[in-house]
Amino acid sequence: MATLEDSFLADLDELSDNEAELDENDGDDGKEEEDIDMDMADLESLNYDDLDTVSKLQKSQRYIDIMQKVEEALGKDSDGAEKGIVLEDDPEYKLIVDCNQLSVDIENEIAIVHSFIRDKYKLKFQELESLVHHPIDYARVVKKIGNETDLTLVDLEGLLPSAIIMVVSVTALTTKGSPLPEDVLQKVLEACDRALDLDSARKKVFDFVESKMGSIAPNLSAIVGSAVAAKLMGTAGGLSALAKMPACNVQVLGHKRKNLAGFSSATSQTRVGYLEQTEIFQSTPPGLRARASRLVAAKSTLAARVDATRGDPLGKNGKALREEIRKKIEKWQEPPPARQPKPLPVPDSEPKKRRGGRRLRKMKERYAVTDMRKLANRMAFGTPEESSLGDGLGEGYGMLGQAGSNRLRVSSVPSKLKINAKVAKKLKERQYAGGATTSGLTSSLAFTPVQVQTYHSIPDKCCYIL
Amino acid sequence: MSSYLLKTLTKKEEIDRIIRDTIDEVLVLRFGRCTDAVCLHHDDILAKSATDVSKFAKIALVDVDSEDVQVYVKYFDITLFPSTIFFFNAHHMKLDSGTADHTKWVGAFHIKQDFIDVVEEIYRGAMKGKMIVQCPVPPERIPKYQLLYKDV
Repeated sequence: MATLEDSFLADLDELSDNEAELDENDGDDGKEEEDIDMDMADLESLNYDDLDTVSKLQKSQRYIDIMQKVEEALGKDSDGAEKGIVLEDDPEYKLIVDCNQLSVDIENEIAIVHSFIRDKYKLKFQELESLVHHPIDYARVVKKIGNETDLTLVDLEGLLPSAIIMVVSVTALTTKGSPLPEDVLQKVLEACDRALDLDSARKKVFDFVESKMGSIAPNLSAIVGSAVAAKLMGTAGGLSALAKMPACNVQVLGHKRKNLAGFSSATSQTRVGYLEQTEIFQSTPPGLRARASRLVAAKSTLAARVDATRGDPLGKNGKALREEIRKKIEKWQEPPPARQPKPLPVPDSEPKKRRGGRRLRKMKERYAVTDMRKLANRMAFGTPEESSLGDGLGEGYGMLGQAGSNRLRVSSVPSKLKINAKVAKKLKERQYAGGATTSGLTSSLAFTPVQVQTYHSIPDKCCYIL
Repeated sequence: MSSYLLKTLTKKEEIDRIIRDTIDEVLVLRFGRCTDAVCLHHDDILAKSATDVSKFAKIALVDVDSEDVQVYVKYFDITLFPSTIFFFNAHHMKLDSGTADHTKWVGAFHIKQDFIDVVEEIYRGAMKGKMIVQCPVPPERIPKYQLLYKDV
């Protein structure tokens, strides 16, 4: 293992030597790319011992230059903006652009250092990484704990929220890790210091950008305020990068992954990043915050785009957008209009809705004109129709029973007609009675009124129902 | 009480104007005194249903104590208060409620729904072209009265 490590290190050292040569040739931009390449190589190799092979940013020339300028600028009072010069040539603007780039680099660097610390510290306290997410917090905690096994002796107040401290202490009791060897511990502490340095450098850069925000991005800072604007710009990596982002991304820039520690995730507020710290957001009632965050993100993206193209150096656009946002939020909070009592509709003005469908059709069948009645209504041409009382008196039979038509007994489909219960009973009796005496001459005609019609010229046993 | 919701007419010109100007709506004119108890009950019902029937009816109160209005009191033969007369497009609409006098409704309505039913019925009849309609109120809720004809 040791020899393997050494060989890897040797490889890496060779690489770094190569870089030192190339450095003189390429500009500062090339350095940055190589940094990243080397870091990728490091991550692949997994086994690295020396921090300096991992994080080279602090040693790089570019970094040192920019930090120096920033400190100067922070120290002196900002003189009035030289309006005469085109913005792109303004050295301050260039500095801001560089700062933005640098802050992104510092973030990457911090992430790398964090993974370095984590890998080394895993042997001691594995679970800490999942309990404390933020890299800087992690670095601080690691520095505080050091090689201690008993966490009651370590005071983590002020570094972490108390709930997390509790969880950390409890987890430390059951951790599988063992104390680190001295040299590893040294390296880890060095790495923590490095991370904290980078963090403070980042803060300085942020403060500088924030103080200049009014002249860089007046519209954006009119809406969200200069602190948040600086943070957004820093995280996005520049004003033009921020302008290119869609509003939904701007909304979640800077979203912190919260450590739940057993609490439900249903109550946690989702999908707001740095915009949470804006004055507008803080002053909206909690029910409207989701809508407000979307609105503010959208409008601030518009403002960022205006600023990226320097369309409105005075910030009027930003103020107008802010006003618009304020009005919209106020409108949402208005109570709904009171309900007026509705007057009755004019009688017979709405036509009756006719219903259709199977159910209605089935109901209508019970009262429909039957086939028998239809036939009785029809008459043959040229021949006088037969009638019940003969000679045209009484009910006419129409086409019923005509020689031409073979329709006397109409199809014996069970009739769907509605029949009175009394009449139905009588019919049934008659049927049975008729069935018993099967003499051709006897007829079971009955002269009952209403629905049962009888034919006196058509001898038959059954009664027809028309 | 209800007078701020319903117009009170005191002059003949006002009555004429309102009869002329109400187009395609039933015009309900209440003849009565605003101090009478029965009138108050009647007015209350009218006021409450004013918004409900506002799409097809208009309601106005006529104070029977003023001078100008006596002409109308005589013309319509109003003796008992409150009396309600219905017009549609300047035609006088009659209502057959089983009482002796079809030209007007004498007395107060018992419930708001009765009044709305009567107005709807008048509207339907009028739209069909009828001059007299059947009263939809059940007889137990129709105020009964005796008509004296020349003190007989």
